[in-house]
Amino acid sequence: MHNGESQNGQANLATPAGINTDLLKRHGNTGKLFRSVLLVTGIMFLVGIVGIVLRLLEDGTENTRVWGYHAAAFAFILTTAQGAVMVAIAPRMAKAHWRRPISRVAEMFAVVGIVNLLMFIPLLSVLPSLEDGRRSLWFYNAADPILSKVPVYTPHIWASLSLIFLVLSGLMLLWVSSLADLATIRDSSSGRKHRFFAWLANGWHGTSKQWFMKYHRIGILGAFYFMMLIFTHFLIATDFDMALIPGWIDALFPITHAANSLQAGCATVIIAMFVLRRFGGYGDWIGLDQFWGLGKLMFALSLLWFWFWFSSFIILWYGSRPNEESVLNLIIRGPYQPAFMAAFILNFIAPLFMMMWNPVRKSIWGPTLVATGILIGTFFDRIRLYVSAYSIPGIGDSSVDKHMLHEIPQTVMPHFIDYMIWVGAIGGSVFVYMLATRIFPIINIWEQKELLLYKFHKKLHRTEVLVLGKPD
Amino acid sequence: MAIRSVLGLFNNEDTAADALDALNEAGFDQSEYEVLTGTPYPEGTFGEAEPVHKLYRFPLIGAACGFIVGLLLTSGTQLAFPLVTGGKPILSIPPMAIIMYEGTMLGAILFTVVGIIFESRLPRLLMGAYNTKITEGAIGVAVTTDETKVSQAEDVLRNAGAEDLKRGWETEQNR
Repeated sequence: MHNGESQNGQANLATPAGINTDLLKRHGNTGKLFRSVLLVTGIMFLVGIVGIVLRLLEDGTENTRVWGYHAAAFAFILTTAQGAVMVAIAPRMAKAHWRRPISRVAEMFAVVGIVNLLMFIPLLSVLPSLEDGRRSLWFYNAADPILSKVPVYTPHIWASLSLIFLVLSGLMLLWVSSLADLATIRDSSSGRKHRFFAWLANGWHGTSKQWFMKYHRIGILGAFYFMMLIFTHFLIATDFDMALIPGWIDALFPITHAANSLQAGCATVIIAMFVLRRFGGYGDWIGLDQFWGLGKLMFALSLLWFWFWFSSFIILWYGSRPNEESVLNLIIRGPYQPAFMAAFILNFIAPLFMMMWNPVRKSIWGPTLVATGILIGTFFDRIRLYVSAYSIPGIGDSSVDKHMLHEIPQTVMPHFIDYMIWVGAIGGSVFVYMLATRIFPIINIWEQKELLLYKFHKKLHRTEVLVLGKPD
Repeated sequence: MAIRSVLGLFNNEDTAADALDALNEAGFDQSEYEVLTGTPYPEGTFGEAEPVHKLYRFPLIGAACGFIVGLLLTSGTQLAFPLVTGGKPILSIPPMAIIMYEGTMLGAILFTVVGIIFESRLPRLLMGAYNTKITEGAIGVAVTTDETKVSQAEDVLRNAGAEDLKRGWETEQNR
């Protein structure tokens, strides 16, 4: 069958039955390490839930200052895990073969959206209505007889709908993409497990029509997920961040927020790949090709990180109006300068100067190291953006000027409860993801079997080459 | 008239394709037989008919409904409370586009989800003959036809080289 780890991530299994046997065996096995991590992350998840309850009981939702780290944790999961699903969508549309073993790894991050949806609920209560007079997308003006009729909870409604539909389209994408694999598990199991997977497989028999529909549904849902991801970032960045900082008007910031998500999504999948390869026993399925391919994408997106940031920065810096200066003093130069520097170095400088070297880019440890840095950088970036925004005095108070920030608030350091919430956010995400691996095979079985149709070895003069075809 | 199905199992693509040709020559309509595989073969590998689907109708109708709702909501509220700001037109497209975009997306996703559920369940409430060897690489040719033609279908499949035959869908159903 196969021994050791392959470089191209395509285990040398020559038959569909061999692929089934190998991947189903791995899917069914839960080692001691898996169970231990599941237990630990489950406890972390509970700690987070306790943290949120404590926060609600102790501080309520009136004081936005104490909710900054919670908002940052929500934005962090939105940027990383919910962006990770895109790794399954874009390379699949390009019909790239290298992404086959990691498409499911990426799609599975859709389930983390459920955790983030739960984290979003308290934020709806924390974000005040538009009655405080902050400038927003929604044209509310209490002093105007007509504009005062704009529903004051408009940001809450549209952001909630957007997030719900993002999660829904992600889950549907995961399910539709997994149908054939769920049927494979159904066919190889018995009893209660068989009935459960028969229900999930929803009558999948592999008819030409079902395959045809599956391809098209994956395409449609992938496109919708992408469109909703960008739009959700647009609304969250605008209503739950930018609008809270008086005087911050930046048309590029929402798309910057979304672009960061594509970069951090790649980084998240690379870390997941590394963990699966190193600890999950998938070393002969996830190999150098996957790290190399995704590393190049992440490198390109790291360069975009700078482009987006600089485009925003230069406008505020050149404009230099008092309101623009105050924004720069809050999120770049002032109390959150260390967080900004960390993000700048880890999200742009380090990827640039590391990934530009071939030996680093074409390796497993190189992209993993850079991806770790990007996640840490994103962590600091979301803290500087959200903790600073929620610390502004006068949010929810209509008597406070919302056109300019007159005094830069001090750095808000995390409270013990904030640590609990962050532990819960990270732990809960990993916990839910790991639970999902018990249902959905982490390596896409049907796509591996499909690859058998398109690859063969051919003699080329005095060597042998692997020829890979593509479906029309 | 009662409907029955029979499944012939083949071990390679060529014999499965030959079986489809044989079924066609024996007078079976293309809608009466289909290929079952555990791997997505490119369309037309077995010479089967190209599947017809209505998938795009769902998102398109949903998107149109969502767009119309978004348009009516935004233009309706602006026209109901007309306010000229800075000499600009009452109907201001950029802010309207935000709601219209979200309305379009929500409608499209909702209808797609409904469409997937609808199309997944309704066409085959009762599944025909099936063999778990299909997920292991075998190719199935399933014939779903009147009970009077089942024996003929079995003969055709057997003569075409089917390794195994299995009947299914032994439920009375009106066509």
